[in-house]
Amino acid sequence: MFIATFMTTPARTVSPDTLLSEARELMTTGKFRHLPVVDEERRLVGIITDRDLRSAMPTGMLTEAEKGAYLQRFAATTVRTIMTEAVANLTAEATLDDALLLFDRTRVGALPVVDGEHKVIGIISVRDLLTAYRQLFGLGVKGSTLIGVVDQGDPTVLTRLTGALEAGQIPFTRLIRTGELGGHGSVIYVRVHTHNLNGVHNILAGAGFKTVAPGIERSNDHA
Amino acid sequence: MSPAATLNHITHARYLRHDTGGGHHPEVPARLAVICQALGGQAELFNLITSEPQPAERQWLLKVHSENYLLRFEEAALSGHSFLGHHDNQLGYETYEIALLAAGGGLAGIDLVEAATLPPPLFCSVRPPGHHAEASLPLGFCFLNNVAVAARYWQKKYHRRRVAIIDFDAHHGNGIQAAFEEDSEVLYISLHEHPTFSFPGTGYADEIGIGPGRGATLNIPLLPGKGDAEVKAAFANQIEPALARFAPEAVLVAAGFDGHRLDDMSGLAYSSELYGWLGGQLTSLARRHCGGRLVSILEGGYHLESLGESVGQYCAGLVSMP
Repeated sequence: MFIATFMTTPARTVSPDTLLSEARELMTTGKFRHLPVVDEERRLVGIITDRDLRSAMPTGMLTEAEKGAYLQRFAATTVRTIMTEAVANLTAEATLDDALLLFDRTRVGALPVVDGEHKVIGIISVRDLLTAYRQLFGLGVKGSTLIGVVDQGDPTVLTRLTGALEAGQIPFTRLIRTGELGGHGSVIYVRVHTHNLNGVHNILAGAGFKTVAPGIERSNDHA
Repeated sequence: MSPAATLNHITHARYLRHDTGGGHHPEVPARLAVICQALGGQAELFNLITSEPQPAERQWLLKVHSENYLLRFEEAALSGHSFLGHHDNQLGYETYEIALLAAGGGLAGIDLVEAATLPPPLFCSVRPPGHHAEASLPLGFCFLNNVAVAARYWQKKYHRRRVAIIDFDAHHGNGIQAAFEEDSEVLYISLHEHPTFSFPGTGYADEIGIGPGRGATLNIPLLPGKGDAEVKAAFANQIEPALARFAPEAVLVAAGFDGHRLDDMSGLAYSSELYGWLGGQLTSLARRHCGGRLVSILEGGYHLESLGESVGQYCAGLVSMP
């Protein structure tokens, strides 16, 4: 659950004195969109994004002559001029949940990761976060199915559910209890890794559970 | 008075000997027993001609599977392992040989179709099923991809280059898709329960093929609870136009019956009658596009009562077109 497992490290960085043309070249060849800006000690001082660079590029409204002059000025401008200074960041001890909340609050696409001396040790992007949650939830692993069961709300419901699956030798990964969500009753989702869904349904029915899916409530009424 | 129509039923006594270990495994020999019983009970609709296939030759298996995988599968069966790769894929001592016979089922069907001036209505009741098996991966009760092997056989042996595969099993045929997703000459169309809620978790509508095969894969995921109306709409709006554009020279069907409303291997709610409609529809599409060259091979279907009834309806549909 720690971002250290999923961040890109080391991160490519630039200095405040790097030229915009160089920064653009780095982003194009490295296929990334965020460059932390660091001082001589690698301490985080800002960030520059592909959007910052695009905004600084000449617009289509200019004449060719104006554009040429503008491009010359662009090439000679340093990162310091357009970088964002107050930059949100995380430490390597942060969890994926911390990252998600910070992404949500700041609406940025990537967050530098720093050590105790504020030196940049990595970077984590929204894309990395998606990959991390996909792996944690066992998504995209061929041969798995998401099953939802009605949360009966009793104190041992999770014990009964996981106990029944384990006793039936049904491998599973994700287990989520939604709680009341938007007026819908609580559902427990479990990702099972088997094609024997008939077996899963029999095990669940035998343990007193009712499965749910959008549009249907399975009856489990046949032998 | 005996009926005018005949149905060729390709199956093998040894299919019943593929042992999935008892217990709660749904892919059981009784599946074929109920099918044979149902087809035998349709004497007023068709004369049943039953024949047994030969094992598929290695050269055809190798068009789809890796040599290494075939060796590993054979060794697992002969050395007494109870499963291959995952507990789902139960096997017994005879499973490898029976799987060769299952792959041979479709090939025998193709031989029959190609030998006749007017291709006869035909159904292959085989097990183990095949459409989840990939080049080197057993999955979801499947070891050899019977339909994929049949498609390659049709192409190589009879020079039917453009083969369309229609898969109406409730689960996405990831193995068939993987075998042909970069191939523009095999069109794979699958109607299945939406991957979010169903095994094996593939078959999103945006999976449309790769590279030269882009556009030759059509996935139609249906949400749990959907039934006959959605299937018929998908045929009219997506499947028929896709077949017309592709202009197949032969049609294979991965015929799974687990979308039935009584079969809890999926949340789909098909009626038995829908399978009759599918049999008629596929026959008429094959006649329209490729001289009626149509071979249907059993995949899933686990609720025994509805399985017998559904296959009976499907075969009645196959012979219903005069």
